Formats: sequence, structure tokens, C-alpha cells
Amino acid sequence: MPDSVPRSRRYVLLLLLLCGFGVVLFRLVTLQVWQAAELSVKADRQHRKTVSLEGARGTIVDRHGKILAMNVEVPSVFGVPTTVDSPTKTARLLSPVLHVRTDELERKLRQDRNFVWLARKLDPEQGRRLEHLSLDGVGVVMEGRRFYPKGPFLSHVLGFAGMDGEGLEGIEYRYESYLRGEKRTMVLQRDALGRSVFPKDLTERNPTPGHSLTLTIDEVIQYITERELEDAVTRTQAKSGTMIVMDPQTGAVLAMAVSPRFDPNVVSNLGADRWRNRALTDAYEPGSTMKAMMAAAAIEERVVKPNTMVFGEYGRMTIANTVIHDHEKLGWLSFAQVIQKSSNIGAAKTGIALGGQRLHRYLQAFGFGQRTEIDLPGEGTGLVKSLKDWGRRSVASISMGQEIGVTPIQMVSAMAALANDGVLMRPYVVAEIRDPEGHLLKRVPPQAKRRVVSSDTARSMTKILEGVVTDGTGSKASIPGFKVAGKTGTAQKIDSRTGTYSTSRFVASFTGYVPAGNPRLAMIVIIDEPQGEAWGGTAAAPVFSRVGEQVLSYLGVASPEPVTLAMAMQ
Amino acid sequence: MKILAVLIGLCLVFVFVWERVDMVRVGYQIERLKRDRTILERQRDELRVKVSALSASGRIAKLATTELGMHLPQQGQVILVQSRPSAIQPVAVANVVPVAVRVAKNDLLARRF
Repeated sequence: MPDSVPRSRRYVLLLLLLCGFGVVLFRLVTLQVWQAAELSVKADRQHRKTVSLEGARGTIVDRHGKILAMNVEVPSVFGVPTTVDSPTKTARLLSPVLHVRTDELERKLRQDRNFVWLARKLDPEQGRRLEHLSLDGVGVVMEGRRFYPKGPFLSHVLGFAGMDGEGLEGIEYRYESYLRGEKRTMVLQRDALGRSVFPKDLTERNPTPGHSLTLTIDEVIQYITERELEDAVTRTQAKSGTMIVMDPQTGAVLAMAVSPRFDPNVVSNLGADRWRNRALTDAYEPGSTMKAMMAAAAIEERVVKPNTMVFGEYGRMTIANTVIHDHEKLGWLSFAQVIQKSSNIGAAKTGIALGGQRLHRYLQAFGFGQRTEIDLPGEGTGLVKSLKDWGRRSVASISMGQEIGVTPIQMVSAMAALANDGVLMRPYVVAEIRDPEGHLLKRVPPQAKRRVVSSDTARSMTKILEGVVTDGTGSKASIPGFKVAGKTGTAQKIDSRTGTYSTSRFVASFTGYVPAGNPRLAMIVIIDEPQGEAWGGTAAAPVFSRVGEQVLSYLGVASPEPVTLAMAMQ
Repeated sequence: MKILAVLIGLCLVFVFVWERVDMVRVGYQIERLKRDRTILERQRDELRVKVSALSASGRIAKLATTELGMHLPQQGQVILVQSRPSAIQPVAVANVVPVAVRVAKNDLLARRF
């Protein structure tokens, strides 16, 4: 520095420099020492991004691998109202794409918030249209949405999943722990533009998807069942209908239909009454179908034989000060004819001979009054009164299917036990559980619960029940070329206003199995409040016949009847 | 010697910087590929849903009846029978599995009820 510069100025300059360095040093110490911990956390937050990821929900397929429910990633749209310049314009542009009213979108975009959902889980096509808009303050995130590609098909069995992907009904609810994907959080590093660079730990893997379920349901059988049931409900102008098709040898449910159906893709505006699986939850008075189980008990206990003669009292008998009627004036008839002609008086007399204690024991053995343990939620127990609560008429009433409540799944399981040589099987709908890579995790084997009656009794009952179709009330359940065993039922509903049996509201049903000699299908058809000819033999039996014929053909079950073959060859 | 040491030092610095830059570049590449995979998986899932919807039995049956003029066989029109080898070839009987054969039986037993 030249000597011409005064010394005082040099000191001032030095002082200024020292001050400058001092400020920098002070700031350095502040940042690096005093605020180090706090700023370190802040920096971490800025260049690291923690994302919460959830593995896709598992797929549900039928027994041939056809997809019934699966997850697809779809766009959800959110807004950041504080950064939207013109809520009116943005709402107007978004409305036709999101199918949400403009004023509703505008109201959301004017809120004093940093985040607001505008529409969630849209169709993939809507997402593609959104990409072209590129609006400020509007963002898109991908979320898993449950799709039921076949719409209302099998809706009461599948149930549905909620907006956040949690199972709420049916299989979706029952198998939630298997279907739900793994939830994980992952740390990503991001650059100044907010782009992800790579995971902090490169060994981190994506969250595992949920397991997939293979059902015992057969898509074709289910379709045939649903179509024929819907037709019957429409034709008879009934309130509702229920039908179950089961493999009697394993208990595997091949089809389970409830009419009217619902679309599990759109459940928000439907009540629980619509999606309740009546095949499991609703107890009804079975009427004459119960005579089949009473008859099996009476034969097993050697109270009667198929050829034991019973007097029909010409259609009128008094028991415990009440009169029991038959639909026709019957005289002497064999016990087999009692069942074939569905005589209430014959059934009541046999039940009384069997006795309350034994009847109650067999009701329990057939599974009435308890859950079948089917792997679906919401199953009811039905209503079998405790023996001590039975009145003077109870034995007679229960023998002809009154004073007792059963669920459709209980009744078809009991009928399937007669078809299965007297052994009661546990019904089930999930056959296999597989991990996301497709490896078998669990196979559900058929499970025999207990022997209810002997093979001899089961065979005797098959002969008697064949007679119901060939010579009795169930003739419309017959299937050309096959022997059908079954029983009709027509039960009066209780009038809630008077507490007595209604004379105009009935439950018509038919339950049985086919081919009678080597049963492949056990089925139940229930038509609730059919109009017109409201008998089990006219409203329900034809549905059994139509479904049975088509399903046997689909399964490739050949006719064992040579006569029919000869007729066919003509 | 000093120059050599400086050059080696510079090389090391260069290698270090190059490695860091390349890691970032590969990171971006991985992320891009992941995005591509996600998009492809999403498209695959969408197509699987579409296939499932299009192959639904109800839809096929509707198309068959409304567009192709087909109709369901009436009751009794289809009968499956067990086809067994005839008596002319008795040797083969033990080895032949019965085969189900479809026989169309036009209107013979239709509309019984």
C-alpha cells in the first residue's frame, strides 16, 4: 500500500474487513454450531422424500382362473387452493373431465387450505385426459382401485372394498388379512427440482402385493344360476330369490346367487339391505323341505320304513287344540308317499312317533340352529328353539317345517348330506390362497363334519326323494335323462301385523340333488313371495330343473338313462 | 515429482467427482425405468380388467343372442351319453375310458311342462 494513504484510513479499512469477517464467522458459528441440529433436520427434509406405499390388493379368481376382482392403479386428483390463480377457470376446465359439478369444484378450490381432494379413484381414461390440462395448483396421485370387471356378477359373495382399499363385505372382508397388500414407507432422495434420484438404500424393495384367492365358484355355473334365478324372480314377480349350487361330496360351493343383485363397483348409494348375502344371513321357515330331514331321522331310528302305512285322516287332524290340514284328502298311504305327496298330517304323526328329543338331536346333527362355518361373513344360525321351550304342538309343527328358522346354506348342506351317503360336509368358497408370485400358500381340503345318518338311510331317502319328482309334488324339477331327488316346500310367511301366518305371502322352495344315484350337484332354490302359483313345485322346482340340466351338460355329466338315449337317437 | 503428485491428486478428485455424477445419472436412469415399468404394469392390469369384462359369460350370451341370432337349447335338446366301445372290439374295452358325446335331440323332449 502506498505511503500516501493515511494510516487512519488503513485502520478503518482493516476494521471494516475485521467486522465483515466477524459477521461471516458469527453466521458460520450460528449455522454450524448453534443451529446445526435444527438445520440438519430441515435439509434432510428438503432433499429426502418419505413416501407411503401400499402393495396392490390381491386378485380374486374363479376355479378356472377367471378374474373376478383385481386392483388397478388409477388417478386421484387433489388441489392446492393457495396456489390456484383462478378457481373459477380451473373448476370449469376440470368439471367435464372429473364429472363433478363446477360450483362444487370451485367451492373446494376457494377453501383456505393447502390440500383438498377434488376427485378420487377415477377411470384410467379420465387420467389420460387430465394429463393434457396441466393446471397450476392441481395435482394427480396414483391410488389402487378395486375393479369388479363383471359388474353385478357374484356380487353377494365377493362383497366389496372401500375407498381406502379395505374389505367391507363378502370375501373381501372375510379374507382381508390375505388380500391386503403390505404397507411400507420408503425414503427417496430428491434433487433441487423435486425429482427422485434413488432410494436411500438401494436394497429397499417395493411393498409386497396381497395374496390372491382361487374360489370354488365356477363362472359358467354361477352365470347359469344367476340368469335362471333372475328370470324366475321376474316371471313370478317375487320379492327376491336365492339359489345355491354345491358339490355334495366336498361341500365346495359352485354357485351362490341372490336376486336382485348389486354392482360392487358402485355401492355408495345402496343400503345394506341390498348387499346382504341372504343365502347366509336370512332365516326362513322351510316348510315341507324339512320333511326330508325328519324322514331321514325317523328311518334312521327305525320308527318307520318307506313302506310303513300311515293314515292321512282325510286331510284334517287336530293336535293340541289346533287343526292341521293337508292340501288334499288323503287316506292310507305309505311313508314314502307321505313325503312324495308332502302330507302334513303324515309328517306330524311320524314326528310325534319319533319324539321331540330325537327330532331335536337330528336337527342339530343336520346342522340347523348353528353356523355351517362357511368361510363368508355374516352367517346366521337360524332358529331352533331349545327343547325345553317346545310347546305341545312343536314336534308336529317342526316335522312339517314350521316353528323353525333355517338359512338357505344350512338347508342345502343338510340335503347335500343325504346326497353324500349321510355325511355332512362343511361348505366353503375359497379353494386356494396363492402368494403374489403364484406359489401355493394354502389349499383348503374338503372337511367332513360328521355322519348324520347311515348309508342305508341315505339310500332309502334318495329313493323316496326320487319319488317326489317322479310321482309327487316336485315333477317340474325333473331333468330329461337324469334321476332327480328332492323336496318341494311352500311356507306361509308370518304376518308381522297380526302375528299369524299370512294367506297371501309365501316362500316357495325346492332343494335336492342330481343325478340321484351318483350326485354331482346339490341345489336349493328359494323364491320369496312369488305371485300367482306360489308353490315350491311351480315357482322353484322349474328353476332347479333348468339350472341342473345346463350345469350337468357343462360339466360333461352323461345321462345314465338308456331309454333317453334311445329316444334321442330317434 | 511435485507436478506428478498434483496430477495424481487432480485425477483422484476427477474420478471422485465423475463417480458421484455418474451415480446420480444412473439413479435418474433407474427412476425412469421404474416409471416405465409402473406404466407398463398399469397398462397390463387395465387390459386384464378389460379382457375379464369382455369375456364375461353374460356379455357373450347377450352378443350371441342379439347379434349372432343364436339361442339357448330348449330343455331336453342336449343330452350327454356315455359312449362305450362296441362289442366288435372287446379287446379294447379294458383300456378305453368312456367318452362323453353330445347328441342334439331336436325338440323331442322340449317344452315338457
